[in-house]
Amino acid sequence: MSYEIPMGPYHPGLEEPYKLSMICEGETVRDAKLEIGFNFRGIEHLAETRNYIQVIALMERVCGICSFIHTLTLCQAMEKLTGFTPPPRAQYIRVVMGELERLHSHVLWAGIAAKLMGFKTMFMTCFEIREKVMDVLQAISGNRVNYSMNRVGGVNRDIEDPQSILSMVDALEKEMTRTIIPIFTTSKTATSRCAGIGVLTTEKARSLGVVGPVARASGLGQDLRKEAPYAAYSEMDFTVPVVPDGDVRARLLVRALEIMESCKILRQALSKMPPGEVVCGDGKFNFLKLTASTATARVEAPRGEVMYSVSWKEGARNPSRVHVRTPTYVNMPSVRFMVQGARLADTPLIQASVDPCYSCTDR
Amino acid sequence: MSTTEIIIDTPLESEVAAYEEKGGVFWYDDGNLNVRDVARALNSVGARFITITTYELPANGGFRFEYHWDLMGRLLGFTFAVAGNTIETIYDLCEAADWIEREVHEEYRIDFTGREYQPLLLREGGVCGVNLQKEVVQ
Repeated sequence: MSYEIPMGPYHPGLEEPYKLSMICEGETVRDAKLEIGFNFRGIEHLAETRNYIQVIALMERVCGICSFIHTLTLCQAMEKLTGFTPPPRAQYIRVVMGELERLHSHVLWAGIAAKLMGFKTMFMTCFEIREKVMDVLQAISGNRVNYSMNRVGGVNRDIEDPQSILSMVDALEKEMTRTIIPIFTTSKTATSRCAGIGVLTTEKARSLGVVGPVARASGLGQDLRKEAPYAAYSEMDFTVPVVPDGDVRARLLVRALEIMESCKILRQALSKMPPGEVVCGDGKFNFLKLTASTATARVEAPRGEVMYSVSWKEGARNPSRVHVRTPTYVNMPSVRFMVQGARLADTPLIQASVDPCYSCTDR
Repeated sequence: MSTTEIIIDTPLESEVAAYEEKGGVFWYDDGNLNVRDVARALNSVGARFITITTYELPANGGFRFEYHWDLMGRLLGFTFAVAGNTIETIYDLCEAADWIEREVHEEYRIDFTGREYQPLLLREGGVCGVNLQKEVVQ
């Protein structure tokens, strides 16, 4: 006999406000249905009521973790509209901020995953390291969450002493190499809890169009930093970790390896940062003089590809349309297939392995 | 030869007259494309569906849909203009379009013909089109 178990939108096993209704037979999940929209904010509509400065501040609030990435994608689209090219130093600062945000996101996720595994000590360790990543972000931007770093044509703040940030990154990397990485890659406690559960095959991943670490943990080697480089990524030497297994352990491994690659990129960006201005020209552009046009930009956020389409009408102060496609929006439907055949007790960890962000999804 | 055939038959590096690179997108728009033919062609070359961006045209002029696909890191765009509020679904050809079509349906009251909907972002009693359509028909 089958029965339905609703999980969410308010549930101790879920960190985010969505609802997963699971059809179970005994302890085994046979199928599931997802419901979202509990915190829908209508940000795309709000964007049409904001001018070219206000819209950047608004889009920074799409996500609390990838706030830099959202403004970066928006500014890159608006730079295509205006013809502005940010100076090389600004491109490097964007790489530094983007990678610090990836570290922040992955370490936060590692903490939540550890908690769901019942590994509370690891949870505390991850959150302690996350605080230190946020200290670095604060040292650069003055802010811990919404950094206000991006502007059309460059960045708002310079990294005046890259070497001091580099020493903070070195200390962070040492600590992560000592704690998070060995535990998530070699510890039997962590890996045995995750091996073989929540499998998403390569074929299914391709069919669902999943992105980011979820895709790379299912054997799809897609990463916009390599395939369609933006900012200064074309000048960085790094590899894209790909694991073919498709289970929760593979997602754990991919993110652990990405933490190491981010540190590698950060070291390169900070040590090779070119001198010069951080904003193109005087940074001023009269959007009222724009002819009607549309531009699109994509960026590899910690959770995968973010895409912004920005449309401007001639003589308008506000954008006529801002469309945001966030990574969780395409990754989340895969949860239905990941939980099919899983044990009920594993479902919170399986859902968390996608690293869902409902701030992005219910934008 | 249709634009769809050109995409499949032409190596990415060579020059293709049928597309125009603009605003970060390789736009394919010869005016005769069919949304389902494009989806079939792009599926066959392993392209990844990204999203649909919808624009409401002024003076009840219908809608413009921009379908975005990724092919080996290249962002492809296909434009379809419709006078009314219906367009064929590609959900049966491309699973990734499910949530995107449901969202566009709820935002703009667009009917993707050939599929059924379950509520996605709307809660019980929510009216389709409230979010982004300029004039909502209750």
